[in-house]
Amino acid sequence: MSKQIEQIDPRGPRFGASIINVFSIIIFFLALDASTVALAQSLLAIVWVSFLWGSLLGNTKHPFGIIYKKLVRPRLSAPKELEDSRPPRFAQFVGLVVTSIGFLLSALAVPFGIAIAAGALFAASTLQAYFGFCLGCQIYLGLRRVGVIRG
Amino acid sequence: MSFETRLIIIAALVLVVVAGGLYWRRTTGRARAVADGTQIDLGRLGATKDGKPVTQFGKRVTFLQFSTEVCSQCRQTARLLGEFEAQNSDVLHIEFDLTHRLDVAKKFNILQTPTTLVLDSRGRVTSRIGGAAKTQTIQDEIGNFQI
Repeated sequence: MSKQIEQIDPRGPRFGASIINVFSIIIFFLALDASTVALAQSLLAIVWVSFLWGSLLGNTKHPFGIIYKKLVRPRLSAPKELEDSRPPRFAQFVGLVVTSIGFLLSALAVPFGIAIAAGALFAASTLQAYFGFCLGCQIYLGLRRVGVIRG
Repeated sequence: MSFETRLIIIAALVLVVVAGGLYWRRTTGRARAVADGTQIDLGRLGATKDGKPVTQFGKRVTFLQFSTEVCSQCRQTARLLGEFEAQNSDVLHIEFDLTHRLDVAKKFNILQTPTTLVLDSRGRVTSRIGGAAKTQTIQDEIGNFQI
């Protein structure tokens, strides 16, 4: 509690989620057909890097966070309240894991492995961007309790 | 896969996700009555408020809110409950961080945060609110207790 925790505008991560949302549905569409699955895979690789960046450095040092601050934030009113930077970082980490699972499934020749990962990203980013759903609130404790992740 | 088939699959995915989102938003933050007589022992729990141990329950009602470090909605729930506490001297709000207390999460079977237990003046759990509590829910809960 003594450590100073970075506080951010909660709309920043939601803006990032809306970009991932558009990206993931395009990837999903491309991954369903054999002729475009390679392109889907390359796009998902970009998304993977984005999640890695976000989970290591946090939202404010992420390109989407910077775009939000420079271009979107000045057009909006001041945020009602700030939020802790840790929950969105956890969501980025979940995105990284989901994307990695997609590549793993694809490497194991599971049909539609990339599409499954892109579909899951679409679901999570829709809920986050438009419904105010928070992954850190819903799944963190469950994962901790079954020992999948540590504190 | 044909273009049409892909569009149908996408439409189905969007429908399922939006339906799930609407259902979640409808059900989250609602209170559920608890009648198993669970008794909270604040001392044994190690509950604190402003860094000091809490031993007394609110004279009318106590909201025991469980949070974690990665829970963004816990902040808004804490602010809301804090406002009710400031307006009513017999309402107490206690926040408890589960991040390093998985034993407590297991004991009360908590899977999502915030989860808020509503306690009567003797510390018995009367209801449980899963998710970010709505203003109306809190008002109703306080109204359930006569002074």
